Amino acid sequence: MTDFEPTFVEEMIARHGRRPEALIPILHELQGKYGYLPAGALDHLCTKSDIRPADVTGVATFYDRFRHAPVGKHIVKVCKGTACHVAGADKIDDAIRRHLHIAPGEDTDPTREYTVESVACVGCCTLAPVADINGSILGHVTAENAADRIRDHFANHADQTAQPSTEELVASAAGAGKRGVTIHVGLGSCCMAKGSDGLYHALREHAEKSAVPVHVKRVGCMGMCHRTPMIEVAPEAGNGDANRFYAGLTPDHASSLIRAHFRPRGLLPRAREAWRSALDGLIIDVEPPATRVAEVEMKPREPEVRAFLGRQVHIATEHFGRVDPLDLDEYVATGGFDALRHVLADLKPDDTISIIERSGLRGRGGAGFPTGQKWRVMSAQPGPEKYVICNGDEGDPGAFMDRMILESFPFRVIEGLAIAALATGAETGYFYIRHEYPLAVKRIRAALATLERRGWIGEKLLGAQRPFRVSVVEGAGAFVCGEETALIQSIEGKRGMPRLRPPFPAQSGLWGKPTLINNVETLSMVPWIVRHGAEKFAAIGTAKSKGTKVFALAGHIVRGGLIEVPMGTTIREIVEDIGGGVTPGRKFKAVQIGGPSGGCVPARLADTPVDFESLREVGAIMGSGGLVVLDDSTCMVDVARYFLQFTEAQSCGKCTFCRIGTKRMLDLLELLCAGKAQRSHLEELKRLAHQVGAGSLCGLGKTAPNPVLSTLRYFHDEYEAHLRGHCPAGKCTGLIKYSINADCTGCTICAQQCPVDAIPLTPYARHTINLDLCTRCDTCRKVCPHHAVEVS
Amino acid sequence: MSAFPITIDGREVQVEEGQSVLHAARAMGLDIPTLCHLEKCGPLTSCLVCLVKINGKLVPSCGTKAAPGMVVESETEEVHTARRTALELLFSDHVGDCLSPCNLLCPLQLNIPVMIRQIESGDYDAAAKTVRHALPLAAVLGRLCNHPCEKGCRRGANDDPAAIRELERFAADYDHTQELPNLPLRAPPTGRSVAVVGAGPTGLAAAYFLHRQGHTVEVFDRHHEAGGTLRHLEEHQLPRASLQAEIELLWRFGVKFTAAAELGVTVQLADLQRTHDAVVLTVGEVSAEERARFGVPSAATGLKADPNSCETSVRGVFAAGAAVKSVKHLVRALAEGRAVAECVGQFLRGAPVRRPDKPFSSIMGRLDPGEQRAFLAHASAASRVGPCSACAAGLSRVDAEGEASRCLHCDCRSSGNCVLQHYAQTYGAQADRFRTKRRPFEQHRQPGGVIFEPGKCILCGICVKLTELAAEPLGLTFIGRGFDVKIGAPLNREINAGLQQVAAEVVHHCPTGALCFDEKAAPPHAHHAH
Repeated sequence: MTDFEPTFVEEMIARHGRRPEALIPILHELQGKYGYLPAGALDHLCTKSDIRPADVTGVATFYDRFRHAPVGKHIVKVCKGTACHVAGADKIDDAIRRHLHIAPGEDTDPTREYTVESVACVGCCTLAPVADINGSILGHVTAENAADRIRDHFANHADQTAQPSTEELVASAAGAGKRGVTIHVGLGSCCMAKGSDGLYHALREHAEKSAVPVHVKRVGCMGMCHRTPMIEVAPEAGNGDANRFYAGLTPDHASSLIRAHFRPRGLLPRAREAWRSALDGLIIDVEPPATRVAEVEMKPREPEVRAFLGRQVHIATEHFGRVDPLDLDEYVATGGFDALRHVLADLKPDDTISIIERSGLRGRGGAGFPTGQKWRVMSAQPGPEKYVICNGDEGDPGAFMDRMILESFPFRVIEGLAIAALATGAETGYFYIRHEYPLAVKRIRAALATLERRGWIGEKLLGAQRPFRVSVVEGAGAFVCGEETALIQSIEGKRGMPRLRPPFPAQSGLWGKPTLINNVETLSMVPWIVRHGAEKFAAIGTAKSKGTKVFALAGHIVRGGLIEVPMGTTIREIVEDIGGGVTPGRKFKAVQIGGPSGGCVPARLADTPVDFESLREVGAIMGSGGLVVLDDSTCMVDVARYFLQFTEAQSCGKCTFCRIGTKRMLDLLELLCAGKAQRSHLEELKRLAHQVGAGSLCGLGKTAPNPVLSTLRYFHDEYEAHLRGHCPAGKCTGLIKYSINADCTGCTICAQQCPVDAIPLTPYARHTINLDLCTRCDTCRKVCPHHAVEVS
Repeated sequence: MSAFPITIDGREVQVEEGQSVLHAARAMGLDIPTLCHLEKCGPLTSCLVCLVKINGKLVPSCGTKAAPGMVVESETEEVHTARRTALELLFSDHVGDCLSPCNLLCPLQLNIPVMIRQIESGDYDAAAKTVRHALPLAAVLGRLCNHPCEKGCRRGANDDPAAIRELERFAADYDHTQELPNLPLRAPPTGRSVAVVGAGPTGLAAAYFLHRQGHTVEVFDRHHEAGGTLRHLEEHQLPRASLQAEIELLWRFGVKFTAAAELGVTVQLADLQRTHDAVVLTVGEVSAEERARFGVPSAATGLKADPNSCETSVRGVFAAGAAVKSVKHLVRALAEGRAVAECVGQFLRGAPVRRPDKPFSSIMGRLDPGEQRAFLAHASAASRVGPCSACAAGLSRVDAEGEASRCLHCDCRSSGNCVLQHYAQTYGAQADRFRTKRRPFEQHRQPGGVIFEPGKCILCGICVKLTELAAEPLGLTFIGRGFDVKIGAPLNREINAGLQQVAAEVVHHCPTGALCFDEKAAPPHAHHAH
């Protein structure tokens, strides 16, 4: 039996090449077509290409994306990012599996309709907890509503197996609305997950119908993820009216918004509009549009909006929420490519490097290595074959800055990369972007295609006698590929296994040639620095950490979103002023900064300024900029266990300390969370954490113990409590019990809602919970109207 | 190529440009451990047991190039701890026993599976050598041992344990049928002499092992003949001839015997101390009055001796066996003799005196039924040899070989050649520092004789690299990621398929027992630990 078409394999070889570096792209194609990698197809690939069988199997089994057995018709992914985890992702996972009848240990239901898998982080942290069904994101899922949400989703998308993004439908609308009013609709991944694409199409449709002179414009991330879908209505230039914002919209608001803002021009359209309104009024009970619109209007002077935006400084996110990510003309009109043009025309490589050095820019990917220095080392290497790579493998759970920048400002990142190439003598560039960010990949590809069409990239950069060729490489699901040497291996079509440094990539990188790797956010700051001068950038921030930093603010916080603040802003300012503090009624406990390599900074150290050195001092790191706020419902031992689970799963498996050490640390943390640990286990955990950190080969292993070390440092009492079999936050399911107290009226709601029938239905009598069946999903406590369910 | 000095542990060493720190350290005689290092493979930097400290950071010395002015720390407590931890982490995920349970349970550490393989293959002489290497009075023990080994025998979980003691006896008895029974190797004479007082089992065992160390040994006994309590046994329990043959062997070996010499009566301790460099008291159970005459302090149960060093409070005088504390089993009494011999040897060398540790071994523990079946698949299904065929005459050759074929060979084929085991011993690694649920034991026997036991693989990557260098059509690869990475042939093929050209080289360089040749299918492969 053939479960694949040999000709398809051959076509893919023809498209991507027969060399080893074509391997991952070909595997992506196979995975995309069949939903898994049919064994026969891999055999065929070996016979028809120059790729070694050992590499095919090695690579195909290394990356998470590639599957080796057929999957169900629908794929449901449960995000296990930090923000989702602390919001109960595990319970949602359980609930979804139960709902879809997936047996324990399996990932696909018996009818092969649904496959459920975990995904490290989809980067929609402000919508946590999140699930992804065939590519559509469902935000704010709960264990109680998971089943209904999934049912609704399939009811609305009955005949769909894979959801095409509406992005394809969006033709470049440049020029359409030069006259009249412009409505900006935020179309980042998170916004789209909350339905802003639907809103966008509805607005366009209504605008068209009512023939009003309005330009409905796609823009990137608006930053205020907690208020999306959101729009900004900009009046005609010179009109004098202030811009107006509307937040928390649904597609249903489209018609009232259009009607509230625009009077159709011309007699006929106006009459048509009036007729339609009258008809609508007959058919459905339309509220007066003004009322509805007023409800969703967001006043920029609102204190909370001012608090959210007040402290921000936009460099990487310059023009956020205003520009169409893919409108090259608009990019140019707002100063885009000025910097590159200047570098091309007026600056020697050394001058450019010196600007970057003087600006004090440090790598935004985590370690904070001075960017200028990195460029200088690279520029000193002999050419001509050199490479620059934009590292878009933002894998930290809880971080989505790079995704947002790539989605919203693709030209800016490309410009930054081109400047880096000019300064360091490279003529070839790569974008390495994780495949979990399909929109980012798509927009960078589209932006590159636009530039190629215009002849600004390829053989003549911006038309100058200087080639710069750029390709996009998609990751395949491996956090470790964010590490430079692993990333290089991955581009070369190999398993993403880091190697010992030195030699550094600048000395021997891609294909053994000098290679510069910079993070997305770092590159996105470069054009601004060149345009405004090093001094202006260096004037922002602290003595050693210059400029701004973009953070993904999520977790137990009122106003989550994407923010950019000057270095040196304190954690408190971010959490309380910008983020509006934790959920009312809860206590701010800690922030997790830096993801799996970072640490938890306790609330009492909230006045720590956010800069590279200060964060390191308190046991965290800047990391790429994920900032997950934790309230007092969080168990810190569980947080440590969560991160170790992540790093253990993401270890490449090469070196002993990381491969086995993280596993053993996880074993010990699991004992703690299950209340089965003894003091000797805790001592061993401390000892091992230091040894794994000291002994591991690459950054992943070296920093993997940080979440453990920082929670041990600041929340030692919680570890002690777990030794006594007590979880103070009541999170560790092995340590808590549910019971129903005398306040129970026998209303049976809990019994009806219990997903595992652990509560017998006893109307009018006090209910009881069978603890052997109970999965601690917390549903009964949440649904009980009398607060009669207790956790101990 | 330029040369320059670097500093390792405070000593300067000249290195050529491009050389690794490991190379430099080894050139100056440091034994930095490595598991994944093989020159032709280049640095694989996977095992990380070769860590050294440079600039305040631990780095693998194999992959770190020496640079002018480099200052390296190698033999420090911190570095050793890190190396030990790497080894311990590897053992926490190492599925397999270095030594079989029977071997570990034998107080005299007889390498039982090796003996059994030798008997099975008909090489009785080799079996006798193996037995003599570990057992004093082998033919006696072959009859009287309470065989704790058989309690641990994994075959016992299925039907009955292998008849280990009978096989031991078979090998020893076979030895006595030869014109000149085997004598173990002896170290060159040391010129030191030891007096052993008491020619019972412990004394004779002590003499056997001390003599092998190259010392001159004189055994004294108050009786006319050596053997102590063994002389009191009935003929059917222990034929006099067997005892005599074993004792004769000792004398032939060169141990001197002085009869009718009673300590405190005809011989004084002070005299023995004068004429010998050390004295071992193995007088068996004697009354308090008698002990009072010896000249060494006594406790309630017997002579007073430090349990950790066998030393009495009189310098150079040791005591062991029932003379100190009653010993129930013969094999224990002999093991006490061995222990005191070790202690005396250390004393004579001027080394700290400590009873030897148990040999290092990774321990797999109980097998689940599936694992048991996997082992059984390669053993004879026959039931244990009947008691009658083993009574008076001992096993026939047919029975012995048949019984030997029941062995599951659950020891590691690489024990003794295993680099991991070697450095675990050197570094005092604790195989069970991280106790955790282990993976199932797996064994893949390949046509052509390669045996692959994935649980013993440390993922060093040498085999992957060697097959790549040899341009094997399939070769081997890492499969999976993280903790669950495995080595295997690509495209779901058996490991054999990846080893068409370089099987011998790959097996040879495997640092552990993950890849071995089947002893029956391949050229003889060194097994012996010694």
